[in-house]
Amino acid sequence: MEKKTASMKKKQRTGNIIAYAVLIVISLIWLFPFFGLIMQSFRSYNPAVEYGGMVDYIIPKTFSLDNYRFLFSGETNFLIWYKNTLIIAVFVSIGQTIFILCVSYALSRMRFKGRTLLMRFWLVLGMFPGFLTMICLYFLLKQFGLTQAGAVPGLILISVASSGMGYYVCKGYFDTLPVALDEAARIDGASRSRIFFTLTIPLSKPIIIYTALVAFMAPWCDYVFASYVAFGHDKSYNVAVALQRWIWTNDYQGYFTRFCAGGILIAVPVTILFLFLQKYYVEGVTGGAVKG
Amino acid sequence: MKRFFASLFRDIGDIFVSFADGDGRTRLSYLIFGYGQLRRGQLVKGLSYLACELAFIWYMIAFGWKYLSKFSTLGTVETTKQHRVTVYGDNSFLILLFGLLTIILIGIFILAWRMNIRENRREELLLRAGKTLPSNRKVLGSLLDENFDKTLLALPVLGVFIFTVLPILFMICVAFTNYDKSHQSPTNLFTWVGLANFKEILSFGQSDFSSTFLVVLAWTLVWAFFATFLDYFLGMAVAILINKKGIRFKKLWRTILVITIAVPQFVSLLYVYKMFTNDGLVNGYLLKWGLISSPIPFWTNPMLARITIIVVNIWIGIPYMMLIATGLLMNIPEELYESARMDGATAGQMFRHITLPYMLFVTGPFLLTQFTGNLNNFNVIYLLTKGQPQSMNMVGNAGQTDLLVTWLYKMTVTETNYKMAAVIGIMVFIVTAVISLAVYNMLPSVRDEGGFQ
Amino acid sequence: MKKKMAALLVTGILAATLTCTAAYADEIKVWVADAVVDFTRQQIDSFMEENPDYAGYDVLVEAVGEGDAAGNMITDVEAGADIYVFAQDQIARLVSAGALEEVAPDNVEAVENDNDPGAVGAATVGDLLWAYPLTSDNGYFLYYDSSVVSDPSTLEGILADCEAAGKNFYMEINSGWYQTAFFFATGADLSYDTDDNGEFTACHTNYASDAGLIALKEILALKSSPAFQNGSSVGQGTKIAAIVDGTWDSSAAQELFGDNYACAKLPVFEGADGETYQMSGFGGFKLLGVKPQEDEAKLEVCDALAAYLSSEEVQLARYEAVGWGPSNLNAQASDIVKADVALSALAEQLAFTVPQGQYPGDYWSLATSLGDSVISEEITVDTSDDDLMATLQKFQDTCISYAE
Repeated sequence: MEKKTASMKKKQRTGNIIAYAVLIVISLIWLFPFFGLIMQSFRSYNPAVEYGGMVDYIIPKTFSLDNYRFLFSGETNFLIWYKNTLIIAVFVSIGQTIFILCVSYALSRMRFKGRTLLMRFWLVLGMFPGFLTMICLYFLLKQFGLTQAGAVPGLILISVASSGMGYYVCKGYFDTLPVALDEAARIDGASRSRIFFTLTIPLSKPIIIYTALVAFMAPWCDYVFASYVAFGHDKSYNVAVALQRWIWTNDYQGYFTRFCAGGILIAVPVTILFLFLQKYYVEGVTGGAVKG
Repeated sequence: MKRFFASLFRDIGDIFVSFADGDGRTRLSYLIFGYGQLRRGQLVKGLSYLACELAFIWYMIAFGWKYLSKFSTLGTVETTKQHRVTVYGDNSFLILLFGLLTIILIGIFILAWRMNIRENRREELLLRAGKTLPSNRKVLGSLLDENFDKTLLALPVLGVFIFTVLPILFMICVAFTNYDKSHQSPTNLFTWVGLANFKEILSFGQSDFSSTFLVVLAWTLVWAFFATFLDYFLGMAVAILINKKGIRFKKLWRTILVITIAVPQFVSLLYVYKMFTNDGLVNGYLLKWGLISSPIPFWTNPMLARITIIVVNIWIGIPYMMLIATGLLMNIPEELYESARMDGATAGQMFRHITLPYMLFVTGPFLLTQFTGNLNNFNVIYLLTKGQPQSMNMVGNAGQTDLLVTWLYKMTVTETNYKMAAVIGIMVFIVTAVISLAVYNMLPSVRDEGGFQ
Repeated sequence: MKKKMAALLVTGILAATLTCTAAYADEIKVWVADAVVDFTRQQIDSFMEENPDYAGYDVLVEAVGEGDAAGNMITDVEAGADIYVFAQDQIARLVSAGALEEVAPDNVEAVENDNDPGAVGAATVGDLLWAYPLTSDNGYFLYYDSSVVSDPSTLEGILADCEAAGKNFYMEINSGWYQTAFFFATGADLSYDTDDNGEFTACHTNYASDAGLIALKEILALKSSPAFQNGSSVGQGTKIAAIVDGTWDSSAAQELFGDNYACAKLPVFEGADGETYQMSGFGGFKLLGVKPQEDEAKLEVCDALAAYLSSEEVQLARYEAVGWGPSNLNAQASDIVKADVALSALAEQLAFTVPQGQYPGDYWSLATSLGDSVISEEITVDTSDDDLMATLQKFQDTCISYAE
């Protein structure tokens, strides 16, 4: 008996060593691009210090803050772009969360005529490739005066308006909440809205945070439609649209290190937020994905 | 279908009965919405119906009719020059868009009319039976209680209607027009051409178009398969590894992986793309260390490019799956493993007989959404290769790593060939819909959705 | 109830939109590349000072590069700029999309006389002049590191030097613009006729010929060199010893090469037939376009402003500010322009280039396909002549099909 546990322990220890080795390798692979990105962001673009284009080494010869200085100096509208993105992200996050909660509650808890029809219909709608409708959405927004100078509210409107269709995870979460609670409250004479606000929502902290977090992150990467809507109006760009130009158009040569610095600045708030809320993200996504 | 018509006939019959049997208030409501309700003291309902009618009439006069009347031709007035000044003619785009909207609004108007009549009939019968009608306060209150679903869904449904349904209907219509770069509003008109675009795709069939389409379609399916299942199993494996007993710093490992989710893809993927170019970091170091003598064409060799994309996608996908699997794995009752261990099951056996079946059952719908999501995964492809490399063996600007969606994107944005984009878009839709509906109906957890509660 | 409210809201929203679609008649929007935004704003200010009659107009300068400008104008003419800079390869598309107004009749003669003939040709579609030439520097030549490349006159020599130093030679062979350096060199030909509406009416090409075959084989030979990298942007490459690129990259190239910065015309190469060919290519131009206007007074201001921004003085000033090579003949003849290293290399190359005419948008993507077939080694130096000829034949047939 004694011997057996000893051998098992030994086996477990070698198992753990292998596991640690694998995890370390995985971590290195996963972190490497970010390490590179950070290093690039500290390489100066000033020819007197170091060359600012692409290079074939990672660690800069001299560390400098030139790129960050450039972004904050007002030479470009970086701060405006950043502010735009932040505004969009915050409002989209609030709006989408409200919409998704409403839809999920209605679909999960209430039974009404056309419920399954609505769910089927939205499922089918979701299968149309999104940007097929981009040109149409652009002209719709233009009619509302929400392109170019009005691109920021326009993007918020578009992102929030159709968000009800993304109810799956949240509805899945609501489905796991015991119905018995609702029924008890109804017997006590509580109205549906009361149950929603005082019973369901307080129980749904993880899924609310999950929904808000996912919604908050999306605008930081939106460039295809955002560039359409801004339509050349520099002050309406979000960071993704603006920084993409530094890489893909000929007008901006040697902006690579500045792009990296911009990317780091974008990544910082989202990453911090994500790390703090990770727990809820996991609870939300697992709670919801059970039912999908 | 038969049942639909039967109920339709019953409904029409009902309209006549309501009129013949109804009193003056009901009859006048056929013309003036909400008249009956108002006379019966149902202020809330009456005013809503009346406002609905007035708004519709105002809309049609001020806006709708102008577009609807030109809907059949999409405009006939050409843009002209007077001296050097441009006088724009009809705008086919807006005529199509708002014509469509008007048609839908007319449909909704008829529906409102029908609801208005039914409401009148109901109230009339109630009163005749000697019952009282609910108070206005109660009607409003019901929106927060038994009709709370209508309150909750009103805005989301409206939003989806204007910004998803309408644009999709619009693009479906575009597939039947000649809207392309030489027929652009407002300078040029475009018009209905029937099935000509679909015929063009089929007639292309003799040359290279269908073969290009098949290559792109095949890669789209292969990609979606690998992107979904590789990520799924590898993510699960990593989750199991981190959850393994005796592994410390669990939170640290998870956090490291999760950074890929937090950093915007347009930054991280661009950097990854640059790393693997022929003159990028990876090749640079491999060459420097003498491991290779010439650069590995990660992005320029079609087959290698496809593999690289799938591998990079694993880098993106594992963290998501790891998070999901971590939570789900904790839900599996520990007793199951205990008893299995008693019976002397190995780790592999436990995985095959307990973990995997549980995970597959629970994440079925999730896998399906992942799969359809990957069919339309624009970001990864576009940010990495933009569909490149192209080939003389393919037509229509398509590249060897293009998915149907990225190909579509090129057609819309780069070529402004909207009519063909619309046709391909419909095909993409059909492919996605057929696959997912077939799978969706087979999923056990979907079939007993009601039974869950 | 739900639908009722929906209908109500839709009409409400639409009502609101009806009131806010009025156009701003007194605003003139100008789109130029980011690098010249400040310069353009200054010039416009001084123009407005000189012309108090036009004081009622607000001029707004926005940073939209040439590529984006053309794309945006085609997507939505109404929302686009009133005056914008674009690369000439877009002109036919812009004309057929109705995004360009003809040059004012009063200005036509001056534009045609003052600018170099290639630039005027680039601004002409059919028989009409559609845009004001701005620069003649949209061509390419060779930047090189003089410490690596000892003799830039032959392609073989450059490649050998690069290989020996373990450095790279960059040329974007999957671009229809750079590819012609080979095809036009060997005497292959590709050009299109357009009508006044910007539609293509005829294609003249003989790529599927011995000349085309020699050119394609040279591209394949270049690809097979270990020093070769595909690309044409100084900022995006690593270990660059030589690059075929244009004047817009001159400051980036100076930063990169430092004291070893040097420019030259494109090299000659020895074809598969043993003959020597001078690399050719496109000479391209940047143009300034005016959007069709619904208001005569505004059109007049736009025309005057465009004429001013493309005038001799402003072209010279623009060269001094940002180094864009002028299209104006007098400006080209000025001493400072003649002294520019990059522009002189371009001028030297000019003798061998073909002024870029009008090409359909599909040509560029077809050329990318041909280049990518080379890069992805679908065709290589070992491919048989017959197969190469078949590829060229396909290329040629597709080119011709665009003009049908």
